[in-house]
Amino acid sequence: MHSLGQQTSGEPQTISSSPDEDSKLVAAILLKDRKATAEFVARYADDLYSYVRSRLAPRYDQVEDLVQEVFLTAWQSLSQYRGTGSLQAWVTGIARHKVEDYYRARLRMPESIEDADQGPATSSLASNFHELMEQDQLRKNTWRVLAGLSEQHRLALIWRYWDKASAREMALKTGKTEKAIERLLARARAEFRERWNHGQSS
Amino acid sequence: MANLPDEKFIERIADGIELMEPEAAPTRLKAKVYSALMQQQAKRSPLLSLTEISARGQKLCVFEKLVQIAPVGESAKSLNICRVCHARVLAEHMESPPIYWSGCPYVELKNS
Repeated sequence: MHSLGQQTSGEPQTISSSPDEDSKLVAAILLKDRKATAEFVARYADDLYSYVRSRLAPRYDQVEDLVQEVFLTAWQSLSQYRGTGSLQAWVTGIARHKVEDYYRARLRMPESIEDADQGPATSSLASNFHELMEQDQLRKNTWRVLAGLSEQHRLALIWRYWDKASAREMALKTGKTEKAIERLLARARAEFRERWNHGQSS
Repeated sequence: MANLPDEKFIERIADGIELMEPEAAPTRLKAKVYSALMQQQAKRSPLLSLTEISARGQKLCVFEKLVQIAPVGESAKSLNICRVCHARVLAEHMESPPIYWSGCPYVELKNS
């Protein structure tokens, strides 16, 4: 089994396996070698779990179901894996699509504010926050602000700014107009900033 | 930063902060995923038989070994026998299941 180390970037960590190892593993899984299937799960479960969890937070109740769906889809599509890229990248691509499906379903629903905790706003932003806060503190602050947003605002921001989807792409995938997505993003950005500023002042 | 428009403000934060933090998947989840995959594989056609798996140099658990050496047909050795194993039940429901024997996929997942 391959050991899984720590990751620090947005992409699931790079797992050290050669293209040859990937191809052998895939071939063994397609032969229905149960040991190979166990290795497949052991290799990628931690990374996929971390990725999906970070994209759905703080709604963790769906994370395990989504990770399981990623694996089942990967198994169903495994015969299409051509070995042109790493198996890890291929599996991560499936996870991205699943997360996008989740975003799409949630953003199609009528916007609601029931899950946004209402807090006072205003106050000024620190002039140079990179100097004032360490990376870890900044991450915690980002999470605090994102967690306080309504689900639609949170997912829209993560999809647009962390997963780098364009407004047009989001519109196509949600069945909304690009204008509607832009309006949603504008409201989400304003709410994010308001909460961020409030956090700086308190 | 204070004077940046909202869009630039968020872009700066998103470029500097990655939301993902490494977190190990629960053992229960790994076990459930493995069980689900095995169930899907077994549904369509027989699994690779334990004899063939052993011939490929893979280690069998004590129960798989028993089935492999038993005087039964190859079709019985291609069944998903983990489905009736207590190790599966324990692994799917406990974060630290009391399962330790080597060659068991659920033990491997617990230790991964």
